[in-house]
Amino acid sequence: MQNKSGIPIIFALALLIGLIISIQLNTSDAHDQGGLIPVAQVDALEQQLKEVRREKEAILAEYLELEQRLKEIEEKNLSDDAFIQSAMKELERYRMAAGVLDVKGPGVIITVDDPIPTEENPGDGYSTIMVRYDLLLALVNKLKDAGAEAISINGQRIIAKTEISLAGDNVNINTVPTAPPYTIKAIGNPDTLEGALTIRYGIVENMRNNYGLQVSIAKQEEIEIQRYNGVLRFLYAKPIENSEEEDAQ
Amino acid sequence: MRNRLKIVLIFILCVFIGSSVIVLSKTVKGLHVFVSSKVLEDYRITIEGERKDMENLIKQIEEAKAQLEELETFEAENEDISQELEAKLFQDLEFYKLAAGFVDAVGPGVEVIVDDGTRDIGFGEDPNDILVHDMDLFLIINELKAAGAEVISVNGQRIVDTSAISCSGYTVRINGQFYARPFIIRAIGDGSRMAASLIGPGGYGNYLKDWGLVFKVSIRDDIRIPAYTEDRAPKYMTIATDDRTVKEGENN
Repeated sequence: MQNKSGIPIIFALALLIGLIISIQLNTSDAHDQGGLIPVAQVDALEQQLKEVRREKEAILAEYLELEQRLKEIEEKNLSDDAFIQSAMKELERYRMAAGVLDVKGPGVIITVDDPIPTEENPGDGYSTIMVRYDLLLALVNKLKDAGAEAISINGQRIIAKTEISLAGDNVNINTVPTAPPYTIKAIGNPDTLEGALTIRYGIVENMRNNYGLQVSIAKQEEIEIQRYNGVLRFLYAKPIENSEEEDAQ
Repeated sequence: MRNRLKIVLIFILCVFIGSSVIVLSKTVKGLHVFVSSKVLEDYRITIEGERKDMENLIKQIEEAKAQLEELETFEAENEDISQELEAKLFQDLEFYKLAAGFVDAVGPGVEVIVDDGTRDIGFGEDPNDILVHDMDLFLIINELKAAGAEVISVNGQRIVDTSAISCSGYTVRINGQFYARPFIIRAIGDGSRMAASLIGPGGYGNYLKDWGLVFKVSIRDDIRIPAYTEDRAPKYMTIATDDRTVKEGENN
C-alpha cells in the first residue's frame, strides 16, 4: 500500500516537470540575445517594409507631379524679362544649397552595418552603430571636410539643421527614426572622398577595428541624392540684409 | 497485480511525454532561422521611419495642392496671376536665401563659449584631456540642432549643410578657415530649450565641465549670425529632379 501511494505522486511530478519544460522551451525562443525566430515573422516585417516603401513611392510620384504642374503654371505666366528670369535662377541656386532639390553627381556610397553576431560574441542586443552614433557624425564630418557637396543617410538629406541624435532606442535623423544598415551617399570627388575615409588609422579603420562594424565603400560614376523631405520652417530666425551688401548692390 | 499497475502507469507517462513533444513541435510555426532580436527591432524602426517620412511628404502635398488649386481657379477666371506668382517668387527667394545661409540672420537664442581647461593636468595625464577638440564642437552643434536650433555659427562662421569642423594641430578648421580657442558658438532658436539640452542632466556641457574645460551658456534675445561667405558653387552635383520624373514614368 505504501508503494502504491508513491506512484501517483511521481506521476504528478512528472506531469508538472513535463509542462514546465515545454513552457520554458516555448517562451525562451527569442529574447535579449536573439535566438530562433520563425521565418514567417521576419518575412512579415520585410513585406510590411516593402509595402510602406511602395506607398511612399506612390506619394512621392504624386508630389512630383504636383510640382511639375506648378512649374508649368509658373513658366506660362511669369514674364520672361531678365529681372524675373535671373530671380528664378537665383532661387534655384538657393534651393539647391538648402537641400530641397534632388541632386546627382559622382561620389561614394558607404554602407555601415553592425558586427555579425558570433557564438563567442553574440552582442548585447543593442546595435553598436546606434549606441555610437557619434561615429556616424564623425563620418559625415569627414565627408564634408573632403568636399562632399550633398550627403544623405538612409535617404535623409543632411541639411544645415540636420541632427543625428539618440532618442530613446532610435537614432533620429531629421527627426525621422533610422536603423542599421546605414547607407551614406555623398556627392563629390570620389577619389578624394574615398581617400579621406580609408586613410590609415582613419575613421573607417577605427570603425572596423575598434567596433567590429562592417563598413564598405564604393565609388560611383553617378549617384542620386534625395531632397530634404521635412517641413522647413523658421520660427525664430529672421533674415537681415547686410547694409554693406546693400550698398554694393 | 502490482507489476501490471506499474506497467499501466509507465504507459500513461510515456503517452503524456510523447504528446507533449508533439504539442511543443506543433506550437512552433514553420521554419526557424537564427536572427537576433535586434534585427526585428531594426525592421520596426525602419518601417516607423518610412511612415514618418510619408507624413512629411503628405504635408507638402497638401501645401502644393492648396497652392495649385488657388492658381488654377484664378487661371480659369482668366485673371492675371503673374503678379501673385512674382510675389511668391520673391517670398521664396527670401526664405531659401535664409535656409541656405546666404543672408545674415537675427533672432533669440544662445551663446556658448567653450575653452581649454585652466586646471593643471595631473602627473602623466594627457594634455588632450583639457583641450577642446573638433569632436566636442560638432557634438555640441549636434545637440543644439537636436534642440531645434535654426541657424548656427562657430566663431562667426555660419554652419551650413557642407560645413566641416576639423582639428588641425593647434587650430580648428571651420568652413576651410582656421580658428583657435576660445570657441564661441551662437545658435538661433528656443534659447531655454537649447540651454537645457546642453547643461541639463546628461548634457554635453556638463560632461566637458567634468573634464575641467571651460563651458558657458547664456540665453540671449539678440543673436546675430553672419551669412556664409566662402565659395560654394557646386562642382560635382547637378539638379536631378527632371530626370527622376522621367525615370519614374518609365518604371510605371
